[in-house]
Amino acid sequence: MHASRRRTNFGSVGFVYCVAVVVVALASVNRPNNLLVWIFAAMLVALLVSGVVSGAMLLRLRAHRIEPRRARVGELLVIRYTLENTARFMPAFDLHVEERGLPLGLVAAGEAWVLHCGPGDTVHAEAVLRPSRRGLHRLPSFEVWSSFPFGLLRKRLIFERPSDVLVEPEVVPLLPTLLARVARGGLMGGVRASVEVGGGEDFFGVREYRSGDSVRNIAWKRLAGTDQLATIERSRAVPPRVRVVLDLRRATDALRVTGGVDPRTLEEDAITLAASLMALADRQGDEFGLTVLGLEVAAIPLRRGHFHRAKVLAALAAIDLDQPRDASASLRDSAERATILFVHPDRADTTVAPSVGWNFTASQLATLRLPLERGGNA
Amino acid sequence: MTLLRQHRIAAFLLVLLSIAAFATSQKDLVLLVSGGAFAVLSWYVTEGPRGRTLPALVSNSLILVLLAWTLVSVLSELDLTDSTAVLGRFLLWLLVIKLFSARTVYEDRQRLTLAMMLVVCGCLETVEFIFAALVFLFLALSIWTAMLWRLQASYEAARASRRRDGALLPPPLEVSVGRRVLPQFRRVAVASILAIFVGSVLGFTLFPRFGESRGGRTDSESVSGFSDRVDLLTNERINESRRELFTLRWLDPAGEALRSNRPIYLRGAVLDRYDPVTHRWEALRTSNAIRAMRTPRDSKFVALGPGIPDTTGGVWTAEITMRSLATSVLFTVYAPFAVATDESYSVAFDPATLLLRDVGTDHVGRYWWYALRVQPQPSPQMMESLQGSIDPPRSNVSFPVAGLEPIARGILKEASLAGLPTAQDVRDDPSLRWMRNRETARAIAGWMRGGRFQYTTDLTEFRVERDEDPILAFLERHRFGHCEYFASGLVAVLRTLGIESRLVTGFVAIEYDDALEQYILRESNAHAWAEVRTGDHQWTAFDPTPEESLVQISERNRSFVDRFRWIYDRVEFLWNSRVVAYDSAAQATIADRVQSEWRTAARSGYDAFRAEMRALVERFSLGRAALFWFGAIGLAIIAAFAAWFVARRHSLQTQRRAGLSSLPPQEARMIARDVAFFADALDLLERAGIPKPAPRTPREHVQTVANRAHAAGVAFERLVERFYQVRYGGHRQSNSDREETRDALDRLKSALLSGR
Repeated sequence: MHASRRRTNFGSVGFVYCVAVVVVALASVNRPNNLLVWIFAAMLVALLVSGVVSGAMLLRLRAHRIEPRRARVGELLVIRYTLENTARFMPAFDLHVEERGLPLGLVAAGEAWVLHCGPGDTVHAEAVLRPSRRGLHRLPSFEVWSSFPFGLLRKRLIFERPSDVLVEPEVVPLLPTLLARVARGGLMGGVRASVEVGGGEDFFGVREYRSGDSVRNIAWKRLAGTDQLATIERSRAVPPRVRVVLDLRRATDALRVTGGVDPRTLEEDAITLAASLMALADRQGDEFGLTVLGLEVAAIPLRRGHFHRAKVLAALAAIDLDQPRDASASLRDSAERATILFVHPDRADTTVAPSVGWNFTASQLATLRLPLERGGNA
Repeated sequence: MTLLRQHRIAAFLLVLLSIAAFATSQKDLVLLVSGGAFAVLSWYVTEGPRGRTLPALVSNSLILVLLAWTLVSVLSELDLTDSTAVLGRFLLWLLVIKLFSARTVYEDRQRLTLAMMLVVCGCLETVEFIFAALVFLFLALSIWTAMLWRLQASYEAARASRRRDGALLPPPLEVSVGRRVLPQFRRVAVASILAIFVGSVLGFTLFPRFGESRGGRTDSESVSGFSDRVDLLTNERINESRRELFTLRWLDPAGEALRSNRPIYLRGAVLDRYDPVTHRWEALRTSNAIRAMRTPRDSKFVALGPGIPDTTGGVWTAEITMRSLATSVLFTVYAPFAVATDESYSVAFDPATLLLRDVGTDHVGRYWWYALRVQPQPSPQMMESLQGSIDPPRSNVSFPVAGLEPIARGILKEASLAGLPTAQDVRDDPSLRWMRNRETARAIAGWMRGGRFQYTTDLTEFRVERDEDPILAFLERHRFGHCEYFASGLVAVLRTLGIESRLVTGFVAIEYDDALEQYILRESNAHAWAEVRTGDHQWTAFDPTPEESLVQISERNRSFVDRFRWIYDRVEFLWNSRVVAYDSAAQATIADRVQSEWRTAARSGYDAFRAEMRALVERFSLGRAALFWFGAIGLAIIAAFAAWFVARRHSLQTQRRAGLSSLPPQEARMIARDVAFFADALDLLERAGIPKPAPRTPREHVQTVANRAHAAGVAFERLVERFYQVRYGGHRQSNSDREETRDALDRLKSALLSGR
């Protein structure tokens, strides 16, 4: 990919070097000393050679940003670049790759550096960014620069290649018994009868014995009655189901908060808590779904697995809190059997739905977090 | 990573080289050994198995001590003339302390800067060739090291940028390196060094100069050698340099080279004015009758004066071949009447002193070879034709130092001169004056050579009291010194006695090479003696310095190295003549020469072109239409060349884009003709923002294109299929195939455009 622009900068080293060149020039004029004159000439030419070499190195350099994967607040984002030197003879050394105009939510945490890219070579480099804010961030452009050979001049190639990165909300490790308490052992359970045969414990039915069936599963009573071997079938184990309902019906400035608390932070914490709850459910093998109240976000059905989790987190990442809210939104009654976890930014609101659920608030995030000594992170 | 590991050793060598260069500029062996030893020790300590470094507190304390010591030594001596040397020594020891500090990029940068400053300090001290050679080596190595340092600094910075952020630990930096990094780095570094060297030669040549260069000797140096002024207040020890400056072949009238039974004096400067305030001998610059002449190219002799009488018989020839002395002076044997040079030179002849000098109009370097015809005992007619009425004898001769007369009288008495004409005799018969001059000078010179004075080049004990003249101190108290004191003493005594005399500096030829039949003149053969007027146009040389002392100097320090010295001396001569002595006159000469050569070359080329064209017009009878035909043919040739250039460039691009570089050139060219459409397609995709990375196969890229724009993907797939057929299936494109690929290209283009 060709560079959009080329720039040359004069760094502090180059400035100091120029001062030194001027000093040597004055000394060689003041004291007729041809050796000093020669050194002055060499220093001056070195400046030119520096510009020519670094310019020639970058003349036929192409760079490409490999589309970054999803990022998550609290985890580092590695962005990879491909650098291709299409020159026939001139190698390139000391190539730095940097993102330009990083959005507020992304902070540079490690630059990409290439020691050498020979003529005809293609090398890869990776930079590290630290996402600090959830949402869709745009990487407008990146630059490849080098100050080789002497560090006097900095030549830059600017590649205007906008690219979007979806930063998922932070997933905080929560107390592992949290869901067990509210979903499994509790009254609401969320457990349902399975309609599929599986390796669970519940009775599903009886069928004719087939060769290979375990003797443990033989229906002995039936054998006694009919004198025919039959096998007991068990229903498939069905995980608990959790639906997280994120209550964002109230506008940010209408949240009921005490003084000193930033309502937007509370909303973000609520999103983080919702993401963490679903991540915990995913980790424990539960099925989970997401409903966002107050914003135009499609409800995500109950599923489980890696892709489902990514889908849910992406939905949370894409939430735009500046959109107008629908204060009248409510959770519709459905035949869905699941434990419902309401996450509110400010206070619990029991009018949100007719059914019974567990209410969490954003301020509980700290208390629900797994302590550090038990494996939680900072 | 091997490349990065080279940085430390290169930086260390650079520092070592800077220490060696500065010590060489100071001619201080102790500094070289001690500084070098500490530097080597630092390598063992810091890079050894334990890898220890000085704590910052200790190194900073040492630096403060060094600074205090330097300040104290400067303030105690208050000699600011040697400030560069003091600064250099301070930098050197600072550098040594820094060598024991931690090896970080920051410290490396400091060491590099200090080494550079140290070398610049050395440059302010000397311009000698051996030092210059070290400086050039230093420059080359510093370019290499700066490149490595740049890589090392970037590596450290990239590593440091991946710092731990709370619980987040970035992945470690993986250094991306292409193929054949070391050879390519060497290639770039060597090319940069060469470019800088060539560019610096150009810059050196064009740098504006406003005066004469000092010719390679700094004032602070105390090495034996020729000088056109004599300063009697430098009480130092003079090192007897064995540097071979030039050779002299002394040819008798028959043209046979032979060794003279007496030393041959080669005159370089005539100093006839003594300043009693500065205690310095200088030349009187009053002669308005200097004759300028141009010597012919073919070594033919040119007479130095009009009406030179017939010199058949009794003419000797002195042939001088310069080896390592850059000077505009032509050293002459008394008295020359003709000169020849190997190339054409502008020569100025001073009839008053019979000295020759190159007035430097045509040549950057100084003489390589010149010859002089001389009469050792010139006839009055010869001298009259050379000098004319210039420099008539003076009647009132005196010496501007008070208190010399009683000493002179005492010496005269001690010399026990008998039978000399008295003043009354001279007044009665002026012709007796010259005999009186000669005999007096001979007697006093002989008296001085008679063991009363000691010859030495160590004048550290030669202390002169306040308001005491060094000549008086030499004659009265010390009675030791070198040739300048002997000659000054003789001239002073003679002038006090009313005898016209002057100081002459130059060389004395003593060392004779029997195999080559020539004298070797070294720096230690530089000499001073006296000349006394012994006729209206006649001066006679008298040397009060004991001859055995001159022989001893010549014999002293002789070693087998002298046999090979000429190699080094030759290079040094080139350095001195082409670089050190390069000044505004030489610059103007080069400019004139280049301008005239360019003009000549352009004119001759244009004439040759016109002649060829005329011949063509006549051969083909083109007449007046020739201009049209030539223009048309020229345009056709240019167009053909441009077409060939564009086609070749396109073919090379196609080969590169289609990955044909690994094929034999013939096959690559053939396939490139058939797969140009593929390169065009890749260009289209790249412009549309879907470039194909090199590692991705065309088929894989089809999928990427299809994901971005389905129609484009379909069109591109057809092109890729055709590309595979041609590239790997040996398929040759027919006309219909070409039509098909053209259609696919059009479809791809329109699909990409509509996709936008």
